[in-house]
Amino acid sequence: MNLLSVSNLHVNFHIKKHELAALIDVSFTLNRGERIAIVGESGAGKSVLGFSIVNLISKPGYIHSGSIKLENKDISKMNLRQLQEIRGKRIAMIFQDPMMTLNPVLTIGDQLVETIRSHTRIAYKDAKNIAIQKLQHVQISSPETRFNQYPHELSGGMRQRVIIASVLLLNPDIIIADEPTTALDVTIQAEILQLLLSICEDNGVALVLISHDLGVVSKVAERTLVMYAGRIVEEGPTLEIINDPQHPYTQGLLNALPQMALPGQRLNQIQGSMPSLSERPSGCAFHPRCPYATEKCQQEQPSFINSGVSSVACFIVEDMLNEFADEEEAYL
Amino acid sequence: MSTPLIQISGLEKAFATKESWLGQWRFHRGKFKKHQDSIHALNGVNLTINQGETLCVVGETGCGKSTLARAIMGLINPSAGEIHYLDQRIDHLSDQQRMLFRRRMQMVFQNPYASLNPRMTVYQTLKEPIIFHNPELSLAQVDQQIDDLLESVGISASSSDRYPHEFSGGQRQRISLARALSVEPDFIVADEPLSALDVSVQAQVLNLMMDKQEERNLSYLFITHDLAVVEHFATRVAVMYLGRICELAPTNTLFNQPKHPYTRALLSAIPRLDSNTAEPIRLIGEVPVPTEQPIGCVFQARCPYANQRCYDESPAMIAQEDTSSVACHAIEEKRL
Repeated sequence: MNLLSVSNLHVNFHIKKHELAALIDVSFTLNRGERIAIVGESGAGKSVLGFSIVNLISKPGYIHSGSIKLENKDISKMNLRQLQEIRGKRIAMIFQDPMMTLNPVLTIGDQLVETIRSHTRIAYKDAKNIAIQKLQHVQISSPETRFNQYPHELSGGMRQRVIIASVLLLNPDIIIADEPTTALDVTIQAEILQLLLSICEDNGVALVLISHDLGVVSKVAERTLVMYAGRIVEEGPTLEIINDPQHPYTQGLLNALPQMALPGQRLNQIQGSMPSLSERPSGCAFHPRCPYATEKCQQEQPSFINSGVSSVACFIVEDMLNEFADEEEAYL
Repeated sequence: MSTPLIQISGLEKAFATKESWLGQWRFHRGKFKKHQDSIHALNGVNLTINQGETLCVVGETGCGKSTLARAIMGLINPSAGEIHYLDQRIDHLSDQQRMLFRRRMQMVFQNPYASLNPRMTVYQTLKEPIIFHNPELSLAQVDQQIDDLLESVGISASSSDRYPHEFSGGQRQRISLARALSVEPDFIVADEPLSALDVSVQAQVLNLMMDKQEERNLSYLFITHDLAVVEHFATRVAVMYLGRICELAPTNTLFNQPKHPYTRALLSAIPRLDSNTAEPIRLIGEVPVPTEQPIGCVFQARCPYANQRCYDESPAMIAQEDTSSVACHAIEEKRL
């Protein structure tokens, strides 16, 4: 059975009497110990999806319909008490900016111990031991000293390590990491990703990695979901998506990476920008920016088909597959 | 080759760490002495920037990249060393004298959300530098110039009466670039202009910068920690560590044959798409804070090849056969 299954999730924002859809018909599953990535530009709904998994969507946003099932329980219908049992304990979150996540007026130790003691009845001393052990686990040098230090005394990479340690305190089944390395340097980024990867592998924790950089994703995730304007447009094994992207948007994202163009040449940019929630185009939302768009793309929403590489929602890919099948039939 | 556009020699900058007047007194050998700690952000940087080239400065947070940019722009005064623009010395100029150079050198900042005035429309933002530096222009000419500028960075002239918050991050960064271009400079310092942007938007801004360089024969000093961008965009690359330049090389040479141990570690950390790349070289520890003027090589504490000489003697930049130059004892001694 799947550890987490999200099905037909719709998240809306109710702003000035308008209903704006941030997530439309999002479905995916996550198995125990599996690492998946959610990729897309700013405004694609990646973070909204991450937040809605732990039901952290706050007003004016709300879950309109659909279900988020952790094993058998539906998170979207839980009350606050039930949610507190899940948040941190079963599903933990890592945010982008470690300085914003840590409380600047409490020591590292206080914050870690508080997390443990608010979920389990345990003596301060024992909680401290667990905290120090977890700090060691994330390769922080001299954890006893760090325990008594304040967040501003640590570097950015260190802070993100502390966050990862705090997430591990309650041995969650799922870690959701929302752009965990965007605020960090390249060398530190590599270390943090390596750390996340090894922690997930060692403890059998499932990971949902949210990022806009396919280079980062390729190192960590086994499966990738590509999102555009609130919908998943492509889903499949990471390596295969990177080697053979099907959806024009995924192709655009990959081609925009500097290493995909010859040095000194212009980069392949995707024309235009992500539409805002209130100006969602009809049909396939990507059609105004898509180089292959046809009339059909402007009117109808494509459904998912299996392209052999990945599951993809695109009429162009569908037509190509049909053509291919017809040719094959004619040949036979 | 013609004279370089910018020539920097022996540039140093130390920031005093703030302490109260009383806290500055130390008891030393039976006497009270006044002593102020300082952080050495730049320790003797020598660099030239040629006309029409893109020099990228890479390094981790805290290595002095931004201080270098600000010193060149005259936003901070260097503690020692000289900066020349063509053949004129431009450090320690008065504000009045510097004004002449302000229109030749412009800067694009990291965060487009913070570097545009939220209370000024795009039109006002662009108008200010133009009328300041060209008081002879009529209003109609200024308006025409603003419209042309906006169109040239891919923003429709009709949106010039909008405020910065109405634009996306990429559009704002393009407006910042338009503002820098508005006084027709020869030289632009870009301090991590892409790090707040998405991958796809980065491509748009980079392309725009390359177009402008071709049109106007601009020179860039491009500061970044993203090596993938550097590989694509730079003519030459300077790798900085703790306020010193440890390797300076043409882009191709640097990426094909990185020499300095720090450059090698940096390059191995780029997240690549292909899965079979080698394991990154892990550096031990983090960048130390240089409160004292370092003795010996700045990279000594994290370098796997350091020997006694690296602790005692600071390595000089030595030109290699392939037009790069490296400051490393291990390379000089052919240990590496």
